[in-house]
Formats: sequence, structure tokens, C-alpha cells
Amino acid sequence: MISGLRGIIDRLSRQRGVRASLIVSEHDGLVVDSSLRFGEGENGERVAALAASIYRKARLSADAAHLGAVSFLQLDADRGRLCAVGRDDLVLVVVAEPSANVGLIRVELFKALETIA
Amino acid sequence: MADEIRRWSEELAREPNSLVFLQLAEALRAQGQLAVALKIAQRGLDRHPGNADARALVDRIASERGAEHAAQQALDALAAASRSDAAAESAASRLFADLLLDDDQTALLLDDSGYVLGGLYLDGDGTDVGQEVGAQLSGISEEIVRSTRHLGLGDWKSLTFETEAAVVAMCPTAQHGLVVVAASRSTPLGLLRRLLERCLERGSNWLNGGGPPRDRKPRTSGSRGVFP
Amino acid sequence: MNVAAVESWIEAPLRRYVDDARARIAVLLHPSGQVMAQAGFTRDVDVMAACALAAAAHATSGELGRRLDGHPFRGVHYAGATHQLFLSALETRRGTYLCLTVFDETSSLGLVRLYCEELRRALISAAPNAITARPTPTLAADFEVELNRNLAALFSGPKGAAVIS
Repeated sequence: MISGLRGIIDRLSRQRGVRASLIVSEHDGLVVDSSLRFGEGENGERVAALAASIYRKARLSADAAHLGAVSFLQLDADRGRLCAVGRDDLVLVVVAEPSANVGLIRVELFKALETIA
Repeated sequence: MADEIRRWSEELAREPNSLVFLQLAEALRAQGQLAVALKIAQRGLDRHPGNADARALVDRIASERGAEHAAQQALDALAAASRSDAAAESAASRLFADLLLDDDQTALLLDDSGYVLGGLYLDGDGTDVGQEVGAQLSGISEEIVRSTRHLGLGDWKSLTFETEAAVVAMCPTAQHGLVVVAASRSTPLGLLRRLLERCLERGSNWLNGGGPPRDRKPRTSGSRGVFP
Repeated sequence: MNVAAVESWIEAPLRRYVDDARARIAVLLHPSGQVMAQAGFTRDVDVMAACALAAAAHATSGELGRRLDGHPFRGVHYAGATHQLFLSALETRRGTYLCLTVFDETSSLGLVRLYCEELRRALISAAPNAITARPTPTLAADFEVELNRNLAALFSGPKGAAVIS
């Protein structure tokens, strides 16, 4: 399982424009595994906690609005993008440059999710 | 009372200077016939200008009649406002109708408290559930605002997520509100985001006093939501 | 949420912390158990109990960390059925404070840890002046007097009046 997760992280990190890729516990907001670009090291725990919080809020709100389970989530901001997919308390998170190809990242995230399942 | 009014009327007709006008006018006032009561009291006061009771009666009836008239005017204004409100509410609910491409798309404009300002969200039974949906989804934006402050990503521009029932996109308005667009799962994300941009522009114009779109025939009469 | 501090400079950082971390209750205390600030409590006896237990838990876990790892643990987390608890030591210029936080499903351990660190930085920044000398240990004889005074300040009782019978 551990080597599988590392492989997932590595594949996500190889996508152009990806600054950080993490596997996070949704319940705790803690890092399970991560790969961060040089200079981003101290942000890993921060990204994990906040990304898990956003994903969980979206999941709970969508459920309350009778929209069903959330699969893919994408947050666009001035200086970057955050993408996430989740299953069974694990959330795969990618932080990317604004210019990154989110379509490709999304495909890789879903592929990674199948590996975890 | 009716017999007495008739008797006083007959007496006043026989004797125009009679003070019976006081009882007659008072009885008519009590019955709500303020216009007639005022006329009789005023004629009586004209014949008896020094009569304090007559003066007091005229003043009282005139005051009541003035209040009644004001109340009627207020009712008329309220009715007109209600018609206007209903028209405005209908226009607000159709705010995005012409931008949506089919019945499986919907859009809402929310204020900073999560209340619906415009748009419509119908469930499978045709019930407008925009308020409930808007309130739930606006909670996500609060979380995002808190989090982006600490993520170092700058101000957030949009959130898009896929669910079992729909794809949803939302973005903040300049007034700290929210535009939310939802569509069926089969809607391409790129199209959804384009729709969001157009709805944001429409919502912003409307909030800035641009008014609802005129002379636009919506493709559908409402926006049926994506609830099963 | 009701937030009160013995020293006013603590209040704003603590208020921001409980808001960001979505804490249900929080208390800032001296390792001896003296309460410095609290958020979300409604009774002084509850604050007393929380401080006493937190100080004891910190002392115990600190010793356990030293024996296992050579130095005290950075923080201690307890997970309950519906609520969780996080206890950590915050090193500031004014000395060490313990922060006890109780949170539920609206928050997470990761968030609480994240904002706890920010609270530490905020306390350092907000402290009125740089005191280089560490505060002297509280004598047992003075402890109860200090505790009563602090509890009175937090719950708006008359200054110096005993609130514990």
C-alpha cells in the first residue's frame, strides 16, 4: 500500500505545472504522503489541512443539497489551482500553477483513485 | 338605530334649524357613513356657528374621514406595490433563464448571507428549492475564503465540483455574494465554466442597477434542477 | 463565542484562533495550571478542572516523550466519539503556555495544529514587551490566590474576591 501511494504521488508530481501533490486524510486533515516542489516543504501540512477541509465542506454541502457524493473538485485562485478527488477518507490533492492543464491533472487524479480503490 | 335615523332625518327635514342634526350626524358616523355624516354636521354648524358640540362633531368626523381616506390610499399603494413586487420577483427568478441551454441547467445569485437574490432551482417535483440549495452551497464559499487566506493562492475565483447528480460551479461576486450554476453530469466542464462567466456578468449587471433582462424570451419557462 | 483573558493582549490572538480552528472550547494556561485565557466556557469550575487536567496531561506526556524520544512531545491528541482534544505547548517570549482545544467534526486535527502554530506566532507578536527572564515558579501558597484572581477576571467577578468556597 505504501509503495503504491508513493507511485501515485510521483505520477501526479510529474504533470506539468504541479507544485505539490499529497494524499491526505479527510477526517484528520493530516498528510499521508506528499511530494512538494523545492521551497514548498513547510506548506505541506498547511495544504493538507486546508484542502481536506474544503473537500469535506464541499462533500457535506453537496450531500445536504441532495446532489450526491463529490468526486472531482477544482478551486481556482489568483496564484494557483487546487484539485482534489476523494474516496473512503483519503483525498488526493494537487496544487498547480494557474497555467497548468487541469484536464490532464483531472484524468491522472481519477486514475490514481482507481489504484487506491 | 335605523328607525331613529329615519325619525331624526324626517325631523331635520321639517325643521332645518333643529339641533337634531347632532344626533343624526353622530348616528351616521357610528355606522361608518362618514361622508353623509360630515355633510349633515357641517350644515348644522353653518346654521349654529357658535355651537361647540357641532364644531367638535365636525372635527371628529372630518378627522376620521381623513384617516379613512389615508388608509384607503395606503391600501391602494400596497396593492400596487404588491403587483410590482410580484413582477419584480418573477423577473428576478428569470434572471438567468435565457442564458441556460436546457431544463437541466440552473443558476442562482446569492447574497453574502446565502439568500437567493435571483434565479430559480426547481427539483423533480417542480418545487423551487433554490433557498435550501443556495444556503447549503454558500457554506462552501465561507470555507474557501478562510482557507485561501492561508494557502497563499490569493483570492479565489471559482470552485467547480462534480457530484453524482450534477456538476456545479460557483464564483464570488463583487458584493461578497455568490453565483452558482448547476447542470447535469453530462455537461462538459468547459461549457459549465463558460456558463458561470456569463451568469456572473448578468448577476453583476443586475446588482449594479442594470435591471432584469428585457424583451428576452427564455428558452424554458423555468429552470428545472438536476435533482432526481 | 465568549472569549476572556487575564491579560488583554492575549484576547485577540485567542479569538482569532478559535474562529479559524472552529474550536468548541479552548483554554490557554500556564504549565502550573494557572488559567490565562479561555474561550467557550461558561463556568469557572469547568475552567479549573480543564486547567488542572491539562497541566497534568502535559506533565505526564512530556515525561513520556522525554523517555521515548529524548524530548517532550510536540502535542497530544485524544480522539473521542464525537469530540477531539488537542493539547500543545506554545513557546513564547513570555514563557511557555499550554493550549487545550476541544473540537468536533466541523474541524480537524490538521486544522487545529495549523492554527495552533499561528496562535503561537500571534502571541509572540502581541506580547507587550520582550521579557527575557522567565517568570519565577508559582509558589503553592500563592497558587490559589492567583487562580481565584484569574478566574474572577475571566468571569467578571470582583477583583480579588474568592470564587471558590
